[in-house]
Amino acid sequence: MKVTVLQENLARGLSIVSRAVSPRSTLPVLANILLATDDGRLRLSATNLELGITCWIGAKIEEEGSTTVPSRTLSDLVGTMPDPQVSLTLNAQTQTLNVRSGSSTNDIKGIDAQEFPPLPVPDFADAIQINVADFKEMIQQVAFAASTDEARPVLMGVLVQVEKDVVTMAAADGFRLSVRKATLSSAVPQTISAIIPARALNELARIASDGEPSIQMVLPKGRGQVVFHVKDVELVSQLIDGTFPDYQQIIPRSYKSRTLIATASLLKACRQAEIFAREGSNVVRLNIKNSGELQPGEVEISAHSEETGSNETLVEATVEGIPLLIAFNVKYLREVLEVIKTPNVAVETSAANAPGVVRPVGDDDFLHVIMPMHLG
Amino acid sequence: MNSWNIFGHDWAVDMLINHIAHQGLRHAYLLTGPAGVGRRALATRLAQALNCPTPVAPGVACGVCRTCKQVDAGQQADLMVIQAEAEGGILKVEQVREVQKFLSLRPYQSPFKVVIFLRFQEANASAQNALLKTLEEAPAYALLLLTADNAEQLLPTIVSRCEVMRLRPLTVAGVTEFLAAKGVPPEKAALLGHLSGGRPGYALRLSADEKALAFRADKLDDLRHLLGAKRRERFAYAEKLAKDKDAFRKMLFLWLAYWRDVMLCSSGAQAELTNSDRAEEIESLAYALGLAQARAQTRAMELALERMGKNVNLRLLAEVTLMDLPQVR
Repeated sequence: MKVTVLQENLARGLSIVSRAVSPRSTLPVLANILLATDDGRLRLSATNLELGITCWIGAKIEEEGSTTVPSRTLSDLVGTMPDPQVSLTLNAQTQTLNVRSGSSTNDIKGIDAQEFPPLPVPDFADAIQINVADFKEMIQQVAFAASTDEARPVLMGVLVQVEKDVVTMAAADGFRLSVRKATLSSAVPQTISAIIPARALNELARIASDGEPSIQMVLPKGRGQVVFHVKDVELVSQLIDGTFPDYQQIIPRSYKSRTLIATASLLKACRQAEIFAREGSNVVRLNIKNSGELQPGEVEISAHSEETGSNETLVEATVEGIPLLIAFNVKYLREVLEVIKTPNVAVETSAANAPGVVRPVGDDDFLHVIMPMHLG
Repeated sequence: MNSWNIFGHDWAVDMLINHIAHQGLRHAYLLTGPAGVGRRALATRLAQALNCPTPVAPGVACGVCRTCKQVDAGQQADLMVIQAEAEGGILKVEQVREVQKFLSLRPYQSPFKVVIFLRFQEANASAQNALLKTLEEAPAYALLLLTADNAEQLLPTIVSRCEVMRLRPLTVAGVTEFLAAKGVPPEKAALLGHLSGGRPGYALRLSADEKALAFRADKLDDLRHLLGAKRRERFAYAEKLAKDKDAFRKMLFLWLAYWRDVMLCSSGAQAELTNSDRAEEIESLAYALGLAQARAQTRAMELALERMGKNVNLRLLAEVTLMDLPQVR
């Protein structure tokens, strides 16, 4: 292999794929990045067997070939390269990659590319096209609700369902549930349902730049994988096996009290309350007071900690239905408010021990369910 | 040699090939038998047979493709090998959690995800309990292979969730033949065949490791010497022993086999001796000590090994073991 690439491109490509490198694995080759010539470009790939990222960069190819070299070594080295041109030459006999730029020349010991787990080569002919901005927003609004507890792998993923022209994402961790819908530009003949690890989706949101029109998504048959393609980058993720809980059951069908409140004010109040609540058990109390004939409704948001002290904020609101005192985990409440884009939110509650629903006002595509905490 | 290229255990190989060929594969197998009898080899071959992309016959891997070679090296993407960090160590619950994480994702490139647990008797109770759920409702693509010295060392709940395959030691002649086929000189092959107690893998390891044989000779000489030694010398030896747990453990195994020979000899049994090269020494000991003493010593070695597994103070254990040795001039 003998190729010349621009230092800037190589550094960018490495920073994208190196997120999938797993340095502490039983397979030493997984700590490496695969470099391979591919149809006039240089292909960089990394995988940890759960998540795989491939990136193509422009290159002047003098001799075809492939190898793998340790990710850290190559990334650190390329980051300090002085010259805009970097030439990579492989000695296939010793699997040593010579990296030359300007007056600096380096030899990196690699592992045969044959050892690298093969990444799927999917057919994007019947891929699902999704708008990048929409998809990124969906991921942002849903993935944070996925669990990080490895005891229940299913909850560490995001359920992605496509039916006709509607795509739905849902994630839950046992205490909260986030559901977001979006419409596709064209209908899909088959229905799709897959649990994709939240980490892979977060990574996808990071890679996909807003400048691109669409992301292509493919689920190759019988491989238990999902492949996303955006411009020069391909991301492969293993699917999580199992049955996602029937989340429709968790969404309350009715409410006894509906509170309309400005998103920004409620978020600010939650952030203040968290300063005190985080010292204790993260409890924030919402005292929802009815709008009367003459006075407007309001919500009293309060938190207290034995050690730090206490906090109380009054926020004006429009309250329909019964007055109520309910407690939530302040972190969950803040996290959902942070991803809501509309100026107002509706908080629907029924009782102090029944789940609350948070919806953006004027946007029916998103909803979030939070389990209440004990008032204590 | 059978079609899996494993020495002995033809019945087990036939049974597993049958399972694969007739879609009767279980989700978990427990392979039991003494160390070095071929449990790991069997598990590896099974993993190859399942995931080889170019099998030569149903249930028989080619053994030369990339996947087969990677499985052999324990470096395949859909294979996970779990064991305690050292022989005689403890397999911990965190490692079982790793397995659960590994199995939660579908296979990367092969039809099956295979997890091989080596020496599962070293798993502590919480690790075994953590595995129960996985054993009970493993995903369809998962195959769990457990190896252990014997099923009685594991929780009954683990054993009942696996198909148990008891691998028996081969004949001494069989192991000798196996070693000869591997290019070991006949005289050494005969001795190792005896020493191995019918365990081809163990015999092969001994033949490859010059130090192991020297270690054995050393320790058996030491034993013979200590039998005639005064207390002070025994205490000094105990102090030395307690410093290296691994060597201590290996020594106890050697001594156990030796005392067993003495016991067999003093009972007048016709069974072949393990330490056949030391037959004279053993006979004279058997004559001097008698059956009851020989039996007590054999039991004492077993007890010492058991206690070591329970993490007793090594110095104390060494002293007790040595003080209890009989005095033989």
